[in-house]
Amino acid sequence: MAKIKTPINFSLGSTSKRDNVAGYLSISPWLIGFILLIVGPMVASFYLSFTNYNLLSSPTWVGLDNYRNLFSDDRFLKSLEVTFKFVFISVPLKLIFALALAMLFNTGRRGSSLFSAIYYIPSIIGGSVAVAVVWRQLFGRQGAITQLLSMLNITDTNLIGNPDTALSVLILLVVWQFGSPMIIFLAGLRQVPQELYEAASVDGAGKVRQFCNVTLPMLTPVIFFNLVMQTIGSFMTFTQSYLITGGGPLDETLFYAVYLYEVAFEYLRMGYASAMAWVLLVIIAFITLLFFLTSKYWVFYQSEGGR
Amino acid sequence: MKKGLLFLFVALLLLVTACGGNDQDERTDANDNQDQSSENESNENDSEDGDQVSIRVAWWGNQERHDMTLEAIMLFEELHPNILVQPEYTGWDGYWERLNTQAAGRNLPDVIAMDNSYLNEYNSNDLLVDLAPLIADGTINLDDVEDVYQEINHDGDRVLAVASGANALALVYNAELLDEYGYDLEPGFTYEDLYELNLDIKNQMEANGEEYFGYDFANAEYELFFNYVRQHDMSFYNEDGSSLGFEEHVLVDYFDWVVRMVESGAAPSHDLMMSYIEGGNSMVQEGTSAMQTAASNQIIGIAQGTDFELDLTVLPVLDGTHANYIRPSMSFSVTQHSEQQEAAAKFIDFITNNLEANEILQAERGVPISSAVRDHLSDKVSETVEKTFDYLEVVAQYTKEADPLSPPGETEVRGAFGRTIEVLKYGRISPEEAASDFMQQAENILN
Repeated sequence: MAKIKTPINFSLGSTSKRDNVAGYLSISPWLIGFILLIVGPMVASFYLSFTNYNLLSSPTWVGLDNYRNLFSDDRFLKSLEVTFKFVFISVPLKLIFALALAMLFNTGRRGSSLFSAIYYIPSIIGGSVAVAVVWRQLFGRQGAITQLLSMLNITDTNLIGNPDTALSVLILLVVWQFGSPMIIFLAGLRQVPQELYEAASVDGAGKVRQFCNVTLPMLTPVIFFNLVMQTIGSFMTFTQSYLITGGGPLDETLFYAVYLYEVAFEYLRMGYASAMAWVLLVIIAFITLLFFLTSKYWVFYQSEGGR
Repeated sequence: MKKGLLFLFVALLLLVTACGGNDQDERTDANDNQDQSSENESNENDSEDGDQVSIRVAWWGNQERHDMTLEAIMLFEELHPNILVQPEYTGWDGYWERLNTQAAGRNLPDVIAMDNSYLNEYNSNDLLVDLAPLIADGTINLDDVEDVYQEINHDGDRVLAVASGANALALVYNAELLDEYGYDLEPGFTYEDLYELNLDIKNQMEANGEEYFGYDFANAEYELFFNYVRQHDMSFYNEDGSSLGFEEHVLVDYFDWVVRMVESGAAPSHDLMMSYIEGGNSMVQEGTSAMQTAASNQIIGIAQGTDFELDLTVLPVLDGTHANYIRPSMSFSVTQHSEQQEAAAKFIDFITNNLEANEILQAERGVPISSAVRDHLSDKVSETVEKTFDYLEVVAQYTKEADPLSPPGETEVRGAFGRTIEVLKYGRISPEEAASDFMQQAENILN
């Protein structure tokens, strides 16, 4: 899904060559950044993933050892489990939530654009350090939410200190950042031709039927887009866990990226961490590919006549 | 996009530090120009040829330490007008990550605060300058420093660092609270006594409707066990750091005691303990705990947040054996990346010997290693700081020879120990299982 769509077509005729130079010049700031800061480090990390490297002395070649060791590393497997659990719960929840609110704001009632702006705020600030710290306070031992729950006699445990509930708190936090998929859904909803609804209601379809047979099919391209983007994003989640729970308690919120960071920057096992980064890339690529392969069975493109 | 996220990060950091370096150079130049004019009149202190140099000095600490160190640096710059000091300070979290990244970029500060647990690692990667010649020629004057404070910083004939303060592991206790319930902690109390005493206070306080959490391990179970092993006449790591140096039953006994403390309520649960640490508070401060484990100089920080009278005492005795040791710590090293090693050495000398500087620093890093400085400070420090001086004298009677420096894998072993303790305190595993789990993990890391 990354934007690697740079048109690389050097076999051009005479006329457009100059245009190309101008084109490449205009994207050169991005291109240089991309090569220096993304391609370069990627190549380096690929090489380092076959070495032992502690940052302080030069790397030594160990072949596939890092990759082999990954699968006997209990904490690595735990981090995979936690991450998958997190992705498969938080992404659908977030999308459902985003869609529901988008439907609500699509009715054109007065103030709905104001509210959609307000509901968008968490996704601007939600990934930030400040919000993570606030969240930790709210759910912490003397936090407002902990106190409220204990006043209501629901529970008096510290939710982020409890291994059974800590992950749920983090899921709640990211679901709360539903703003950007919501805006995209909203745009998608406005694209649905009004006559389809009119035709459906003439045929006697109720609201539920209209939603299932008109809205959802027409929205599938947008759902598809949101699903892919959110899944990729969720696999990389770092800030929330690192700042709120530090991966604990009992490694119950040890996200993949958090473990990778710990291995790299606390234990200085850069080779091993690079191997982890590549395994994550493969996992994400595989899942994205799966989405694309299945998309032709459920994604409906109006412009292609519904295929 | 995911791929080299890590390396993107490293690259960015390098870029940022590299840019930072440039900025600093520019700043130096600007300052140099200004300074040079005034220097002609006032620079009598320095025998140097008047060339302006600049050194970067890095340390970790809390705000208070930052303020005091910055003030001391201003004094240093006054005394050495041709040396400009660029401070780089952070909290303990992130300090080593920052240094490690700088080390990879061959851009370490000239002077870095060094911790005993990293000395081996940095030395084995050849990042530290041998200070022995600079000590021999008097740039760093250690005439007033007893050998015991520097032994730990030697690697054969090489001197890798100079300690700035001596500490020992201790119990920080709330003297008023203990007094109220009729207890004292004269050396000689046992681990079992801690259990009973905390339970008793808890029962009495809770009967009055007050909160009491018990003995605060303060996330230092590893350090406490380090001492516990020594009380069994073993050591945590074997001689050459290639393996553990204690027997499994010792760890089982210790875990057993920890679990009993937590399960009976004589010590707080793990998440309660962590929530205090993350919030930057301590139970001893607020009177919900009577004592906690701490390095002796930590009492200075803890005392600042409370009106209770706090004091220091030794660690519990085990079968009549004490095995604590004095740790010269908060050392300063000069790095191989430094181009101004002499100026860097002068800074270390200044921290070690300058009386006025040590008045500013208030022995907050630990008891100064120079006897002249200690004498000078004895009537100029706060009551709390004085307690750390007194404690080191007391604890000296209960020590035995320090272990050799921990092996480079210590950070990771410590991490594994912390996670094992966590699982244990949550009651998910028995002490026997926990001990064998940990020992296996540690052996894997060390091999």
